[in-house]
Amino acid sequence: MITIPYITALTTYFSYGLLFAFGQLRDFFRKIFDWWSKSSLQGYAPICLGLEDFYVRRLYLRIQDCFNRPISSSPDAWFDLVERISNDNNKTLKRTTKVKRCLNLGSYNYLGFAAADEYCTPRAIETLKNFAPSSCSTRVDGGTTTLHVELEKCVANFLGKEAAIVFGMGYATNSAILPVLMGKGRLIISDSLNHNSIVNGARGSGATIRVFQHNTPSHLEKVLREQIAEGQPRTHRPWKKIMVVVEGIYSMEGELCQLPEIAYVYLDEAHSIGAVGKTGRGVCELLGVDTADVDIMMGTFTKSFGSCGGYIAGSKELIQYLKYTCPAHLYATSISPPAAEQIISSIKVVNGEDGSSRGAQKLAKIRENSNFFRSELQKMGFEVLGDNDSPVMPIMLYNPAKIPAFSRECLKRNVAVVTVAFPATPLLLARARICISAAHSREDLVKALEVISEVGDMVGIKYFPAEPEKQQLEGDRVKLE
Amino acid sequence: MANLYVRAAPTTDLNRNTEWFTYPGVWSTYILILFFSWLMVLSIFACSPGMAWTVVHLSHFFVTYQFFHWKKGTPFAEDQGIYNRLTWWEQIDSGKQLTRNRKFLTVVPIVLYLIASHTTDYQHPMLFFNTLAVFVLVVAKFPHMHKVRIFGINADQ
Repeated sequence: MITIPYITALTTYFSYGLLFAFGQLRDFFRKIFDWWSKSSLQGYAPICLGLEDFYVRRLYLRIQDCFNRPISSSPDAWFDLVERISNDNNKTLKRTTKVKRCLNLGSYNYLGFAAADEYCTPRAIETLKNFAPSSCSTRVDGGTTTLHVELEKCVANFLGKEAAIVFGMGYATNSAILPVLMGKGRLIISDSLNHNSIVNGARGSGATIRVFQHNTPSHLEKVLREQIAEGQPRTHRPWKKIMVVVEGIYSMEGELCQLPEIAYVYLDEAHSIGAVGKTGRGVCELLGVDTADVDIMMGTFTKSFGSCGGYIAGSKELIQYLKYTCPAHLYATSISPPAAEQIISSIKVVNGEDGSSRGAQKLAKIRENSNFFRSELQKMGFEVLGDNDSPVMPIMLYNPAKIPAFSRECLKRNVAVVTVAFPATPLLLARARICISAAHSREDLVKALEVISEVGDMVGIKYFPAEPEKQQLEGDRVKLE
Repeated sequence: MANLYVRAAPTTDLNRNTEWFTYPGVWSTYILILFFSWLMVLSIFACSPGMAWTVVHLSHFFVTYQFFHWKKGTPFAEDQGIYNRLTWWEQIDSGKQLTRNRKFLTVVPIVLYLIASHTTDYQHPMLFFNTLAVFVLVVAKFPHMHKVRIFGINADQ
């Protein structure tokens, strides 16, 4: 539940209306100019149908310098940001040779494996010399090396499941698995805020999709009862299979799903694996759910393990079935051997099998960092989403003008943040998403807090009154539909 | 007044073009924009209040007809064009008829019409144009007109 001050909601709608009106006006004049000057491209079909590039041209391009910033070092706690300049009001951006050292608050570097690590990197380089950078083959042809077998066993053991299968790309894992498991005559019930890869996979499977309100098990139950009673559309025969798809940590909200109350589940732990739970085993451990209750666990290695790729873990029969049918296993190149070695080494560090306690230290550090940062931000009066222990914390901005203001002012003070707006988030709810890492030290966090507080005052996003010592929240709350 | 907070529950509407209309504050913003545009017309043209309401009513007709009932599709490409044959009015609330939002949007032009005709004392020619505008808008919002294209106007190739 997001709590917005009413005036802010009104001004946000008004701002978007104004931006939309200006965009339409400029498009109108552009149409007149184009009709006046003959175009040299006669007889060609237009690239865009109708107005589908309106948002990109008139709204996104204006603040283009806040997105897609190139970096020239590894994404550790501090990194080198390449500066860009624009000569035509942000329509095109040119890279300069100047580089700025900034604090990194945007990378999914939860356990600090993104930069060179004393245990993982030598082993990855060793593997790069022994095996090649790419296996140059699919898993069924010649791409299964001893590393791949070891990796799958390692992942299955880490999660407490019987078997696992690993793919080269996290997005492709979701979009290739869902069509294999579900098809026509089946039902997928997914959370309204699920990631685009799940939406794509569900659409590609041909199954019927129903959406339930984010994190509301009561609404999920209502949808389930309704669907089981009605059956398939038009024929009203019972569904052949029903699956509920939820995520461990939602990347835009930072919230944990209410796992204990849902059943027959596909759990996408892209952000939560390695980052939450006492020993890093994800939301199941954090919420006290036995992994045998979750039927299919999916995750990626990009976030906490500093590598690339995705995995699916489940029972032996499920994984055997997937190895026969999944197109990502049969036709896509297998995961790169050095990347696989990086995952194996980082799992060993997290488990403590490398002989030191760095894994446990990292896990404790990220939990401590997240809780400290979140409580400090809330004390200052920002509206921060996300549950405790979650390393992802979105700070709500709302007004469209505050998005570039926040981003640019923070960059001036050498802090790099990621801001997210429509259409990745709902129109009203633009936010700046902060990702805390185990590589951030206490001084880094304190500096970040100072900068964010100063910029927050300048931009005006401290929507709640700042609390001096006690937990107080004044004002009426009106529930409107 | 500054401490009045609202709760925004996340919606299940997957269409990013229309789900902003389900959040709190939209209706108030709409009414406030109409009121302030009336004030602006009054101050710029220095006409009678009735003429100002007529001007607001007719420009509201043109703007809402263009964006609710004429333009089809969405202003971004991420949904891969599944709504390309539907106008905004046909997209809201996932096509369900007679929801609260639709009833509100049908009532607004009618109330504007009543205010405009009352403040101009029901004189012609304002009455004629106002009546035409409200007639077209209200008929366009009937449930029976869902996905109907009269004489093929605004249909796709």
